[in-house]
Amino acid sequence: MLGSWPSIDPHNFSQFKPNDPSNSKRMTPVTYRPTHDRTVPPPDQVIGPEAKNILVRHFYQHAEEKLRTKRASSENPSPERASKVPSFCL
Amino acid sequence: MSIWNYVVTAHKPTNVTHSCVGNFTGPQELNLIVAKCTRIEIHLLTPQGLQPMLDVPIYGRIATLELFRPHGETQDLLFIATERYKFCVLQWDAETAEVITRAMGDVSDRIGRPTDNGQIGIVDPDCRLIGLHLYDGLFKVIPFDNKGQLKEAFNIRLEELQVLDIKFLYGCPKPTIVVLYQDNKDARHVKTYEVALKDKDFVEGPWSQNNLDNGAELLIPVPPPLCGVLIIGEETIVYCSASAFKAIPIRPSITRAYGRVDADGSRYLLGDHNGLLHLLVITHEKEKVTGLKIELLGETSVASSISYLDNAVVFVGSSYGDSQLVKLNLQSDARGSYVEVLERYVNLGPIVDFCVVDLERQGQGQVVTCSGAYKDGSLRIVRNGIGINEQASVELQGIKGMWSLRSATDDPYDTFLVVSFISETRILAMNIEDELEETEIEGFCSNVQTLFCHDAACDQLVQVTSNTVRLVSSTTRVLRTEWHAPASYSINVATANATQVLLATGGGHLVYLEIGDGVLTEVKHTQLEHDISCLDINPIGDNPNYSQLAAVGMWTDISVRIFSLPDLNLITKEHLGGEIIPRSVLLCSFEGISYLLCALGDGHLLNFVLNTSNGELADRKKVSLGTQPITLRTFSSKNATHVFAASDRPTVIYSSNKKLLYSNVNLKEVSHMCPFNSAAFPDSLAIAKEGELTIGTIDDIQKLHIRSIPLGEHARRICHQEQTRTFAICSLKYNQSSADDSDMHFIRLLDDQTFEFISTYPLDQFECGCSILSCSFSDDNNVYYCIGTAYVVPEENEPSKGRILVFAVEDGKLQLIAEKETKGAVYSLNAFNGKLLAAINQKIQLYKWMLRDDGSRELQSECGHHGHILALYVQTRGDFIVVGDLMKSISLLIYKHEEGAIEERARDYNANWMSAVEILDDDIYLGAENNYNLFTVRKNSEGTTDEERGRLEVVGEYHLGEFVNRFRHGSLVMRLPDSDVGQIPTVIFGTVNGVIGVVASLPHDQYVFLEKLQMNLRKVIKGVGGLSHEQWRSFYNEKKTADAKNFLDGDLIESFLDLNRNRMEEISKAMSVSVEELMKRVEELTRLH
Repeated sequence: MLGSWPSIDPHNFSQFKPNDPSNSKRMTPVTYRPTHDRTVPPPDQVIGPEAKNILVRHFYQHAEEKLRTKRASSENPSPERASKVPSFCL
Repeated sequence: MSIWNYVVTAHKPTNVTHSCVGNFTGPQELNLIVAKCTRIEIHLLTPQGLQPMLDVPIYGRIATLELFRPHGETQDLLFIATERYKFCVLQWDAETAEVITRAMGDVSDRIGRPTDNGQIGIVDPDCRLIGLHLYDGLFKVIPFDNKGQLKEAFNIRLEELQVLDIKFLYGCPKPTIVVLYQDNKDARHVKTYEVALKDKDFVEGPWSQNNLDNGAELLIPVPPPLCGVLIIGEETIVYCSASAFKAIPIRPSITRAYGRVDADGSRYLLGDHNGLLHLLVITHEKEKVTGLKIELLGETSVASSISYLDNAVVFVGSSYGDSQLVKLNLQSDARGSYVEVLERYVNLGPIVDFCVVDLERQGQGQVVTCSGAYKDGSLRIVRNGIGINEQASVELQGIKGMWSLRSATDDPYDTFLVVSFISETRILAMNIEDELEETEIEGFCSNVQTLFCHDAACDQLVQVTSNTVRLVSSTTRVLRTEWHAPASYSINVATANATQVLLATGGGHLVYLEIGDGVLTEVKHTQLEHDISCLDINPIGDNPNYSQLAAVGMWTDISVRIFSLPDLNLITKEHLGGEIIPRSVLLCSFEGISYLLCALGDGHLLNFVLNTSNGELADRKKVSLGTQPITLRTFSSKNATHVFAASDRPTVIYSSNKKLLYSNVNLKEVSHMCPFNSAAFPDSLAIAKEGELTIGTIDDIQKLHIRSIPLGEHARRICHQEQTRTFAICSLKYNQSSADDSDMHFIRLLDDQTFEFISTYPLDQFECGCSILSCSFSDDNNVYYCIGTAYVVPEENEPSKGRILVFAVEDGKLQLIAEKETKGAVYSLNAFNGKLLAAINQKIQLYKWMLRDDGSRELQSECGHHGHILALYVQTRGDFIVVGDLMKSISLLIYKHEEGAIEERARDYNANWMSAVEILDDDIYLGAENNYNLFTVRKNSEGTTDEERGRLEVVGEYHLGEFVNRFRHGSLVMRLPDSDVGQIPTVIFGTVNGVIGVVASLPHDQYVFLEKLQMNLRKVIKGVGGLSHEQWRSFYNEKKTADAKNFLDGDLIESFLDLNRNRMEEISKAMSVSVEELMKRVEELTRLH
C-alpha cells in the first residue's frame, strides 16, 4: 500500500536540496499589489444577494402551483377567482 | 498616545488554514496554493522544490478555498469565499502575470443564523454549481451556465440544522450533495440530496446512512471509478455508497485534515489532532470497493491542511505549529517512521501571550511569544535584525584580522583574502573550481602578523607588519619596495588606502607615507603625547584614492583627533569622556553626509557629523551596541555603503533618509569582517566568528528574525523578570499516550539566555495557570512571580475556585512564598499601588502584602468591585483600572485610597466580547473583540452630567481581521531618541494567526495627511477579487457595520513604496505632495516595525 506514489512530473523535487529541517525558514514571496482594472469582473459576473427571500419564493411557487391545479380543474377560470391568489408586492 | 492610530503588520499571518494543488498559473505549471487566513500564497513546483511566486493579500478572512476547472478551460480557477459573505473566482493571466477576477459577489442573506460549525463552500466536480452552507437551514447555490459563467444565486431549504460537513458526490448524473449532520438526540447521520437547479430545490438523493460514529465530522468524496464517500469518525472510518458499506475501526483520534494521494481516490493521507499522519487505502476489485486499510506513517506538525504535491512530497499546513514539507519514504527509519521532514515553514500562530523584553540590553525590544499548541507549543523570540546567508565556511582559530585584495587595480572582483593570525599571515584565494584555497603572495611577509593590507595604485598591494611596510606587485606578487620602522619601535596600528599609509609606533609616533609606482615615500612624521590606539584614512572626499583627513584615536587622554594630510596638522581634538579607549575609528559618508564613527572598548559607539572642509565634528551621538570592543569596516550591498560593526553584538550601521540606523546582525559574535566580492561569491562578506571563517551574503536590512524554542508543551502565559534574568511561563502538557487524556499544568522557570527550564512547580489536578505577573510590593524590596490559577473541574460551568501563588526565585529555583485561595478563576493579575490587583470571575479584588508576626508574608484582601460577567483582561494606570469583560466591553474603575474602595467610573455600553485591552493614555483605551475588530474608547471627564461622565465614548473603530490575544506597550525596533519615529508611542499585538502588529499613535496632522494618502491609495491599489478595502476595514459584528474611523491601515499605506514611479506620481498629483516627500514620510513609518 505504500509506494508507487503518483508522479505528475518526475522532475519535480528531483534536485531538491533540503535545508536543515530543524532550522525553519520563512517563505514569503513578493506581495502582490494589483493596479490594473481587471480586478473588477465583467458586469454580468457580479452576483448579488438573492432579491427574493426563500420564504417569499416558496409562497410564490406554492401560489403558482395552486393556480395551475385550479386552471387544470376548471377549463374557464374566471378572472375574479384568479385575482384572489395572494400577491406580494416586494 | 492618541485617538489617531495607525495599525501595521510587523509579521504577517503564518497560520495555514487551507491549501490546494492544481494548474493555476499555467496548463503545464503545478501550483501549491496556501491560504493564511487573510492572504494566499502561490507557489510553483519545480525540480528544486517549492518556488514562491506571489503573496496575495485578500480583503477578507478566507473561509473556503478551492481550485476547479470549468469545461473548456486549460487551467484551474480559484474559488475563494470570505467569512463576511463575499466570494470571488480568480484566474491567473500568464501574459501580464496578474490575478484577474472572473466573478465575484455577495452571498449574504439578511435573515439567517450563521452556522456554528463554520462556513462550507464547495464546487461540483462537474462544474454545474458552487454550493455554500453559510446559515443554518439554508444551502446557497450559484449555478454555472454551459459556458462556465455564473448565474444568479438562490437558496434551498436544508432540513438538517446541525450540519457538520457537506460534499459533492462524484459521478452523479445530477449534482448531488452528501450531508453529514447531527440530530436533536446528538446522533450523527449522512443523507444525500440531488440539486434540482430548475426547480431550485432538493430531491431526495440515492442513499443515506444513519447512526454513524458519534465523532464523525469529516466527509471525503471519492472520485470515479469508485465514487461514494468516506466518513471519518473518531473511532471508525466508513466507506459508503449506494451499493457498498465498509467500515474499519481506528485508534481513537480526531482527524483534522486530509489529502488525496491518487487521482483515482484509492489512497488518502489523514492528519490527526496529535500530528500523526496515517495512510487510508480503499481496496477494490473491478471498481468495487472491497475494504479499507489504515497505516500509521509517522508524525508531523498537527495538520490543518494536507496537500499531496508530487513524487512523494507532501505539504502539511498547520495552525498549531510550523508548516512542513515532508517526503513519504518507502522504508521506515530507525524510529519506524515513513515521514521525513524536508523543510519547516515558520508559524507563530496561535500567539496566546507574549512579552516585550530587551534581553541584550541594547534598547531594542524583542517579542517573546507563547506560540503553537499541543505538542507543537513553543516560545519564539522575534526581533528585528539582519541575517547572513552562509555560502562557505572553514574552521580557523585565532583570526586577528582580514582583508580582501584584487590581483589588478581595475579587476572588478577580489582575488585574495588575507587572514592574519598572532604569528603568521595566510593568503586564501579562489581557485579555478571556485574553491577557497591557500596560496602565496611572495612579496608578503607571511611569518608574522599583518596589521593592515590594502590594494594600492599601479597594480600594487601594501602590507603593514609590526616592523615594515611592504609594497608588492599584485600581478607578479614580488616585493617592489619596503619601508622599515625605526629599530627601537614597532608598529602598533596602521591603515592605508590606494595611495596613502598612516601608521603609529610605540611612543606616540605617527608616520605618514605615500605610495608611488614602486616607491614608498615617508612624507611626514610627528610625535604625539600619548600612544595611538586606532587610525583611519578612508577617503570620503572627491578623490576615492586619497584622503585629506586622518582620524586618530588615543590612549591615556581618551580622545579622537582629526589631522590634515599630508602635513599631519591637528585640526580637531574631541575628548570622548570616560575611561574606555577608542578601539576603532572610521571616516565614512552616507547619502552625502560625512561621519566619524568611533567605537569604544566597551561596545559603545560614538558618531559625529564631520565637516570635511574644516574637519570639525558636530552632532555627537552615543549608542550602545554590545559589551566587547568593536571593529568598524565599510561594505557595500545593493549599491549602498554600510558599516559593519564587529563585536559580541554585530551590527550593521546604515543610513536612511539621511539618518543613521542600527540593525542587529543575527550572528552571535563576530571578531572581524571584511567585504569579499569574488566572482564565485559576489557581494559577499568574510566573517570571522568563534573559530570559524565564513563567507556569506547579507540579507536585506530591516527584517524580523525569529528563533524557535520548542517546548513540546503548550505555553499559555509568559512573563519576564529583569532582576533574576528569568522567564516564567504557565504551560500544559497534553498526555498523548494515556487513555484518560489527563493534562498536566506547570509553572516553569526559564533562563532568559539559554531558555532552558531551570525550575518547575507542578499545579494541582484540574488546576491551570491563568495569569502571571512579576512584581514587588510596598515595604518589601524583593521581586516575586505571582501566578493566578483556576480549578477547571469537568462538572463546573465556571471555575469556583482558584489560587494566587507568590513565588520568589532563589538560587534559580521557584520558591513558594505565599498562596491565597480565591473563589474563582484568577484571569488577570496586576501590580497596583504596591499591592496586587486580581480579576476573579465577576470580581476585581485588591490584595495587600502583609507581614505576619512570624516574619512570613501573606496576601490579605483589601477591597473589591463586583459587576462584571467575567473580568478577563485588566490594565491599570495610577489609580485607574480598565477592565475588559467577557461580553460587556470595557469599563473604567477607580481606586479610592481614603475609602479603600474600588468604584466604577464609566463604561462602554456596547456588548463587545473582549479578547484584549490596553491603556493608550490617561483617557484613551484600546480594545480588541471576538469579531476581529479593534476599537478605542475615551473617558469623558469634562461631561456636564453624571450620565455623560459615566459613558466611555467610542472614538475609533476598525476591522483588523485578526483575533488579538494580547496588547503590550513596546517596540520591535531600536528607538533612537534622535529619530522622529522614536517619539511615536506604540503598542504591539499578537494574534491567533501568528500576526505581530503595531498600533502607533500619531499626531493629528500626520494622521490627516496619511488618511488622505490612504484614500488615494484605495483608488490605485485594487482589492484582489474586486473586494473593497473600505468595506474590509469597516467595523463589523452581528449588530452593526460602521466605517472605520480614527484608525489607518498601515499595510495599505506602506504599500505605496512598492508602486512603480507612474503610480506614485499619480498619487503625488492627487495629493499635491512631491513623490520624494511621500516616500520619505511613508519610509519613516516603516521604521516603526
